[in-house]
Amino acid sequence: MTWKHTLKTALTGLTTNRSRSALTILGIVIGITAIMLVVSLGAGAQELILGQVQGLGTNTIAVIPGREPTGPSDVSFLFSDSLKEKDVVALKNRANVPGLKSIMPTVIGAGVASYGSNTYQVSIFGATDLMAEIFDLHPNGDFISPDDVLSRSDVAVLGSKVAEHMFTNGEDPLVNKIKIKNRNFRVIGVLPPTGGGSLFNFDAMVLVPYTTAQDYITGKKSFSRLIMQAVSDNVVQSTADDITLTLRESHGITDPTKDDFTVQTQQDLANRLGTITSALTWFLVAVASIALFVGGVGIMNIMLVAVTERTREIGLRKALGATDRDILTQFLLEAVLLTAIGGIIGIILGASLAFITALGLSQGLGVNWTFVFPWNGAAMGLSVSAMIGLIFGGYPASQASKKSPIEALRYE
Amino acid sequence: MNIIEVTDLKKSYHEGADTIALNKVSFSVRKGEFLAIMGPSGSGKSTLLHLLGLLDVPTSGKYVFNGKNTQTYSSNELADLRNREIGFVFQSFNLLPRTTVFDNVKLPLYYSNIPESKWEEKAQEAVESVGLGHRMFHSSGELSGGEKQRVAIARALVTDPEVIFADEPTGNLDSKSGKTVMAIMQHLNEEHGKTIVLITHETSTAEHSERIIRLMDGEIESDEKVKNRLTANDEFVK
Repeated sequence: MTWKHTLKTALTGLTTNRSRSALTILGIVIGITAIMLVVSLGAGAQELILGQVQGLGTNTIAVIPGREPTGPSDVSFLFSDSLKEKDVVALKNRANVPGLKSIMPTVIGAGVASYGSNTYQVSIFGATDLMAEIFDLHPNGDFISPDDVLSRSDVAVLGSKVAEHMFTNGEDPLVNKIKIKNRNFRVIGVLPPTGGGSLFNFDAMVLVPYTTAQDYITGKKSFSRLIMQAVSDNVVQSTADDITLTLRESHGITDPTKDDFTVQTQQDLANRLGTITSALTWFLVAVASIALFVGGVGIMNIMLVAVTERTREIGLRKALGATDRDILTQFLLEAVLLTAIGGIIGIILGASLAFITALGLSQGLGVNWTFVFPWNGAAMGLSVSAMIGLIFGGYPASQASKKSPIEALRYE
Repeated sequence: MNIIEVTDLKKSYHEGADTIALNKVSFSVRKGEFLAIMGPSGSGKSTLLHLLGLLDVPTSGKYVFNGKNTQTYSSNELADLRNREIGFVFQSFNLLPRTTVFDNVKLPLYYSNIPESKWEEKAQEAVESVGLGHRMFHSSGELSGGEKQRVAIARALVTDPEVIFADEPTGNLDSKSGKTVMAIMQHLNEEHGKTIVLITHETSTAEHSERIIRLMDGEIESDEKVKNRLTANDEFVK
């Protein structure tokens, strides 16, 4: 029997029992839909996160005090005060780090800001004028200037939520002063809302010159982070290496395992976040695969029933000249067609659901969520569902092919 | 020339104690002969038909079909032989449900070596030869019992086989439809030279044949020519 006619016969077998065929593939449809949805949303999330990370500039390098924890008990270096002014001086030396374009020490703290009787718990971010460039900030009014940093001015740029909660009576923040830790800060700028989807949420932050933050907010001479830019993307890695060597020398460290700082490039961060999201995605895919397995068992069950029900048909076909192989391929093809159709429906359904979800997320949450059609998920879904047909259809099909024609013809 | 030659055919089943269904059966059938096999139920006539039709293999004995010693044939070769040289007509018709007359008749061609370009023509010819041209594209479920059996005969004819094996072909039919079926059988035998082997327990049906083999307890009881052969005249046979 030719493949064309085996296919035709299998299709006829499926269409004569339409509603049962539809119910049979439901498990496969649900499984593939779930996988498509998870893979698509995972890819969307990854794109969103990576987009934001890359939005910070791929030439950005950050130094964090303390080394990366190597185990659960190794937290002592997490919050260390290892980054000092002398490190900044050393890093600024062109002889040490030739690829460095700019450096921004930052200081992160927290406190209560108040205006009149309004108070608000804020994060305080001590930075320099470079902050606006790196994070692409466009405040209403002014941003921190180099002079502000040098002269330790009491100026502040407010996040949108901070401004909203402090100035409740419609006052113009830009002509007023707010109080943080009993010190008055002149408001020089207000940031537009960044939205909930941003990696860095500036809405509840107050930005001040880092020098001012050191003096009046944290009271420490150390930095929370050093954020640097390499002159070009090509030298990011070599610059990061230079930074490491410079800081080791500055800290008098000879054993690299005793580093009390961590150098991170944007690429590192992107890779790490990428690893996390894909690990999460594949975990969810594994969970969704359970549905596929259950669907496969359903297929086997129905195929076994169909084989029994069609015993006479099998006997007849054999009497008319069908070989065992003809019968095997017919029933196997029926199972594979069934699951492949289920797979295709699942792919379409899953992609549509993912598209709707992407639409809902970008409109409802105001994040820039793009719909990703997961070609790898679709290819996997289709091949997996066809595989399920082969595996779970194999046993019933072999049962069918082994039927003796006379037993089958006698079957009532 | 003999199309069927069986020698000492034996078939036993192993169900607890050995049950012997057929024993020491020897006979031959001439090409173009019309043979009826009779016997009460349990006499082994169905078993014999299954063996003759190559649907089952004997426990021992020799079966030469159309010059081929079938003992040495693999199951695939037997399937091919069934397809090319044998046509079956069953008591319960065995048509595919929800399938048109035309497609039912076409079914054996799927498993044949006949080129696809000739399928339609062959199927159409077969359907018309049993007088069902007007029912060509009706679903098998819409037909009467007699019509169903005629479709089954058309299906058996479509590959132009040497022999037609009919297992109680009139068993599920009223006498009028039964007569029509027998008329077609006789017509096929006389006009087209088909060898026909028919199983029946009705003497009236058997007497349409030339020769009757009677089985009893798995052995041949008698093998004789029909003296007053019946002729089924019917409007379908011109």
